[in-house]
Amino acid sequence: MYDVPDSPAGIPGSGLTGPWPVGHYAAKLRSRLREFARVQVFGEVFGFKAGRAKVWFELRDASGALPCSMWRREWDALGIGELADGAQVVAAGGCDYYAGSRASSPQFSFTVTGVRVAGEGDLLAQMERLRRALYAEGLTEPQKRLHRPALPRVVGVVTGEGGKARDDVLAGLRRRGWAGRVVWAFAPVQDRHAAPAITRALQDLAACEEVEVIVVARGGGSLADLFAFCDETLCRTVALLRVPVVSSVGHHTDHTLIDDVAAVACSTPTHAAEAAVPVDCGAARAALHGHAARLERQSRRAIVDRARTLARLSRAPAHHVAKHRTRLHQQLRELRASARRGIAAGERTNHASAAALARNGRAAELGTTRGGQRARLDAAALDRAAATARDRRRRDLGRLAVALAAHDPQRTLERGYALVEGADGEPVTTAAAAAAQPELSLRLHDGSVRVRPHGGVPSEAG
Amino acid sequence: MSDVATAPSYETACARIETIIARLDSGEAGLRETLELCQEGRSLVEFCATELEAVGQGLEELRLDELVTRLEAGRSEAA
Repeated sequence: MYDVPDSPAGIPGSGLTGPWPVGHYAAKLRSRLREFARVQVFGEVFGFKAGRAKVWFELRDASGALPCSMWRREWDALGIGELADGAQVVAAGGCDYYAGSRASSPQFSFTVTGVRVAGEGDLLAQMERLRRALYAEGLTEPQKRLHRPALPRVVGVVTGEGGKARDDVLAGLRRRGWAGRVVWAFAPVQDRHAAPAITRALQDLAACEEVEVIVVARGGGSLADLFAFCDETLCRTVALLRVPVVSSVGHHTDHTLIDDVAAVACSTPTHAAEAAVPVDCGAARAALHGHAARLERQSRRAIVDRARTLARLSRAPAHHVAKHRTRLHQQLRELRASARRGIAAGERTNHASAAALARNGRAAELGTTRGGQRARLDAAALDRAAATARDRRRRDLGRLAVALAAHDPQRTLERGYALVEGADGEPVTTAAAAAAQPELSLRLHDGSVRVRPHGGVPSEAG
Repeated sequence: MSDVATAPSYETACARIETIIARLDSGEAGLRETLELCQEGRSLVEFCATELEAVGQGLEELRLDELVTRLEAGRSEAA
């Protein structure tokens, strides 16, 4: 018996011992669990997680499961690496219990001290073998080559009758705005009868000519739950169906063989429904209205535009004539205005010239009058001056004539003088010169006589 | 599917409408071609509208056996 000084009172009437502090009980539990025999267990690994200090995973089989943990250091020493879901392993270890505390949760785990990977898990190994065979036979391709209608009128759906997948498919179809015909082919989706029932449902749906696409949908589950969708007959049937199959089995992490052979594999039933009806009907209706409107617009525009062009062309000649007429009128107006301006300017110039001429005429007339007067005065003066000059010259001439007559040798000769000239006609003025001449001419006032000198004596009186 | 070549499907009709509109928008089509394209476009739009109408009447849910019964009844009536 432990001494528990602050223990509260127990439940009245209860025959059980205690109350014990929970930590004390947890520690005892851990001790007892650790006393369990250490064993080897085997199963498939699920949810493998590697932490800093430990790795965790679950070991599962059809009848139960065990949470397992192993020190990270020991795990790394094994060199196995990360385990995929479904991998079959043998684990050695024993029960342990982490008692927890006020600040941390308690946890039970099978503490693993040794692991041997027993090859792929049975299911995974079977699946992998079949997958390889399907690929090798080219059975993953035929569905993908099928034409998938963008807007099927009838969609077949294979699913569990009471499953959530059914509602999800409907939700997906509604989200597309699609309201055609859905043909349900309900089948069990997880027991051993599932695969043959699904295969039959698929065949029946494909036999209906009006079914254009088939959705196979199932919610999430363990690999064993989903294994019906890895059935060989089912997969071969899907591969060879004439109708495209859209599969959505399990969660997005699950990958069953029907996904490999189907035309399209989707992660959720909703997505599968959307893949079965690729067209968003609401948007398509809106787009179609838009197309119709554009076609009408284009059609109308093609005619109206051309009609406008024709009308414009037909108006063009008249328009040109009118334009030219307007221009001609304008030019005519400008011409007239210009002429008027020219005439007015000419008239102004003429007036100015006439005025100038008149002024000049008057000035000339005045000048002429004045000139006449002045000329007349000048003429009188000239006449007077001329008469005076004439008189003076007449008197001068008389005087000169008198002077001239006084100097005329003829007059001298007339007074009894003679002029002696040599043979050469030159006057001889000296007796010596006369004596030297062979012959002399004596000019008298009434003629000349020739004489011969006979010596001579020069006169002293001379 | 084998009947794609003979009868237009919704998607080929849509694609053709897009092509027609692109051609019309380019402004390169002459009057005759424009009118022919518009005519063709209208009939395709009509076809698409019929297809959309067919999946717009309200979701109808049938079980496979009901469909089979209905189809068989239809066949016997036709016969």
